[in-house]
Amino acid sequence: MADRTSLQQLHETYDCVVIGAGNGGLGAAAQLAAKGATVLLLEQHNLPGGFASSFVRGRFEFEAALHQFCDVGPPTAKGSVRTFLEDDLGVTLDWVEIPEAYRLILTDPGADLDVTMPYGIQDFVDAIAREVPGSRESVTKYVNLCQEVVEALEYLGQSKGNPDRSVLTKKYANFLKTCPYTMDEVADALRIPERARKILHAQWSYLGPPTSRLNFTVYGAMLYKFLITSAYIPRQRSHEFALALDARIRELGGDIAYNTRVEKILVKACPERSRGNGKVVGVVTSKGDQIQTGHVISNASPTLVYNDLISPRTHVPEIALRACNARVNGLSGFVVYMGLDASPEELGLNEYSYFVYANMDTDELYDSLKTLDAPKMQATLCLNNALPDCSPPGTSIVSITTLYRPEAWRDVRPQDYVKVKNRIANDLIAHLEQATGAPIREHIEELEVATPQTFARYTGSYQGVIYGYEPEPWDSLIPRLMSIQDDRHFDGLEFCGGYAFRCHGYSSSFKSGQTVALMTWKDLIEKGEIEQ
Amino acid sequence: MKVNVKGHIRDLLAFKRLVPRRKKRIARAPAEPLGPDPVNQLARRLHPDRQHLIIAQTRDETRTTRTFKLVADPDSDADRLAYFRAGQYLSLNVAVDGVQITRPYSISSAPFEALGAGGFYEITVRRAQDGFLTPHMWDSWAVGTQIESSGPCGFFYHEPLRDTGQIVGLAGGSGITPFRSMAREITYGELDAHLLLIYGSSDEDDVVFYDEFKELEQTAPDKIQVVHVLSCAEVSLEGCEQGFITADVIEKYADVDNSSFFICGPQAMYKFVEEELAAFDLPARRIRREVFGELKNVTQSPGFPQQLADETFRLKVHIGGVTTQVPAKATETILVAMERANLAPPSQCRSGECGFCRSRLVSGDVYVSPESDGRRAADKQFGYIHPCSSYPITDLEISVPRER
Repeated sequence: MADRTSLQQLHETYDCVVIGAGNGGLGAAAQLAAKGATVLLLEQHNLPGGFASSFVRGRFEFEAALHQFCDVGPPTAKGSVRTFLEDDLGVTLDWVEIPEAYRLILTDPGADLDVTMPYGIQDFVDAIAREVPGSRESVTKYVNLCQEVVEALEYLGQSKGNPDRSVLTKKYANFLKTCPYTMDEVADALRIPERARKILHAQWSYLGPPTSRLNFTVYGAMLYKFLITSAYIPRQRSHEFALALDARIRELGGDIAYNTRVEKILVKACPERSRGNGKVVGVVTSKGDQIQTGHVISNASPTLVYNDLISPRTHVPEIALRACNARVNGLSGFVVYMGLDASPEELGLNEYSYFVYANMDTDELYDSLKTLDAPKMQATLCLNNALPDCSPPGTSIVSITTLYRPEAWRDVRPQDYVKVKNRIANDLIAHLEQATGAPIREHIEELEVATPQTFARYTGSYQGVIYGYEPEPWDSLIPRLMSIQDDRHFDGLEFCGGYAFRCHGYSSSFKSGQTVALMTWKDLIEKGEIEQ
Repeated sequence: MKVNVKGHIRDLLAFKRLVPRRKKRIARAPAEPLGPDPVNQLARRLHPDRQHLIIAQTRDETRTTRTFKLVADPDSDADRLAYFRAGQYLSLNVAVDGVQITRPYSISSAPFEALGAGGFYEITVRRAQDGFLTPHMWDSWAVGTQIESSGPCGFFYHEPLRDTGQIVGLAGGSGITPFRSMAREITYGELDAHLLLIYGSSDEDDVVFYDEFKELEQTAPDKIQVVHVLSCAEVSLEGCEQGFITADVIEKYADVDNSSFFICGPQAMYKFVEEELAAFDLPARRIRREVFGELKNVTQSPGFPQQLADETFRLKVHIGGVTTQVPAKATETILVAMERANLAPPSQCRSGECGFCRSRLVSGDVYVSPESDGRRAADKQFGYIHPCSSYPITDLEISVPRER
């Protein structure tokens, strides 16, 4: 059966155009199509997924970026991601649960910390209490606080932007009171012993800024969800996730055009709106398509949209540019993908997820991301420990991920590029070998290294950034949520993905697509542009 | 439970001030537009979607082999060539008698020679008597001819984190080209490796780069060594082996246990050489193979449905908003069927590896040889194919992405 996308003939007009088929764009396009809107999803690469992708080298298929999908949950206790996929969109995936939470290894002399953490609140607290006697009370308090954060966020979600203030102050006072603070400030207030704090904060690198700047709310919510719903990955890598959504969008009547970059978002002044700068009227693509639409959902960042895409440029308000400059651009990634000709048992790698840090001075670790020396931190996966059959018998897939401030790569010349990335990869492999004792080097059958340039190449993200704006307390989830109206500079223009209000991470960016799609749907109905 | 961070009232006030504080911070920030993005700039310089080249020189290497020197087309906006790794190839996008096709050619010059304003690539091509493109190249490619190519592609390069410092190149015919690139880069001092090249030719007259490799050996005798293996009956060249690249020949010259083997040559050679290498029971990581383009004879591939070998199917292609029906032979790739109809589908490696031609199978079924199936698992599950390594076994309908 030939659907519209296979015929490749685009309409002239759509209810909504979605820019970018990353997690957010896929979620947004699917949700709008499921509602019945006419939607066109445009993607500059020839594949959907953005960072949610995979690639083949020799007899190995590597996961490009996904470590863990949060908030999926088992079929019997669905998390919001599974609910969105299965119940709202009708998409089922072959999800595989990750066996344990994580292993944290600190490698500085004297650091003396190597713990493997379980899921489940009680088991998690017990494990820390065993490792750090006397910490049970404060850690329990911390986890309870995280629970309150998650419940408060759920309440906010249900109240659809109009929460009852008295409910918030009575039921969720601790949530409100910790919102303005960093992870360090909250841990200090709860008097969490230093060593317990290291274990609790291990996953900070999934969000980026050091714990002295990273907002507690967003971390606490992530940690709690992770402990109660564990984490999942799609069996056939995140490419399966992207393709399932691609297929569903087309089934629901949506159109998708790949290899098609949006070059302009056309806006027009609308005098009827008192403080507006105008409204969206269409998009122009690199292939010369001129599409009329009153709604654009952008998976591309505000930074790119306000600087490069809005046309005419004179309509871009100064405040939008100020916001781009005020917000802290996130980190880019660096990944060493390895297909090894030894099994995980032979290598002695028994866990799926390893955080290998020199220490837990996250300011020092973050500073190490600013130069081209090898960062003192890595988050390493052994995929076979979640997916035993992901590579042929007697082999394994190991990937080392670290982060960079993209500016560190500013002066790299083409002729030095491979040397630079190989030197860093070499040091990261050495760090992993030192931490785990695994004899990695002698077993490398396939090796690929991704740099900020690689992430830029495949997604066009500004400076190859893989995270969105850094969630410091002033610009984290809650202030972003409460500023949605202020941040909307054009009628009909919304943002999803890692740069959007939910902050970054697979589940957050994916779910942000649903939220803005529903907002757009509501707008379409209210304006009478569509009949329900 | 009650949590105070800096005091009950202060915390509540801090919450209240979150949005005003954010507004203030934004209002205070500069309204300057975005500066340059060196990360994306380097990404595009390393991996341009396409390069506009022009032939600067042609040189006959043997009676059947010609080198084309390519430089950036001064009429295009690009003043520099993309840097590459010795062993990579370019996919040329050329029109032959009005029919648009692609062909991958290993770059035979060295990476350092591509740098700077006078940078160049060389490709060295053997003329195939019954070929489609090569007779055309001999007839109409001259100094000044414009050529469009991809950026550098492929994975057939020395990777110091994976390979040993000793490369053993097992080459046949024009498969010597990536090793010329490596050898020049080694003698230039940019590639830190040793190269032992065991090079098979069927005739003395067919030996490509004989003199040049002699010079390279003299320039860096501790780093470059070439062994010629000639399969013809009469041999006059000094110090060469007669016959084929057998295990005995390999063992005679190579430190088998401490080398990384790189194979590049005509398809028949791979099978032969790999069987010879099997005697050494090497781990897979020690053997690298360049992809060799479409299978010469797909009917010999495992599982090919022989009863369909003479069939021609109907192929319905959606590309660029246009739908076309074309004939497609069971023994020819879907890519070739589309090219014959001049649909100009995207492609690069023509070997199933790179995924550039990745298309969606709307209906019908294909045969894919296990040795050239480079698809992702989820692509197989969701019905995507690489037309360059897929053969029709029913009538088909496919959707091919328009080119970027």
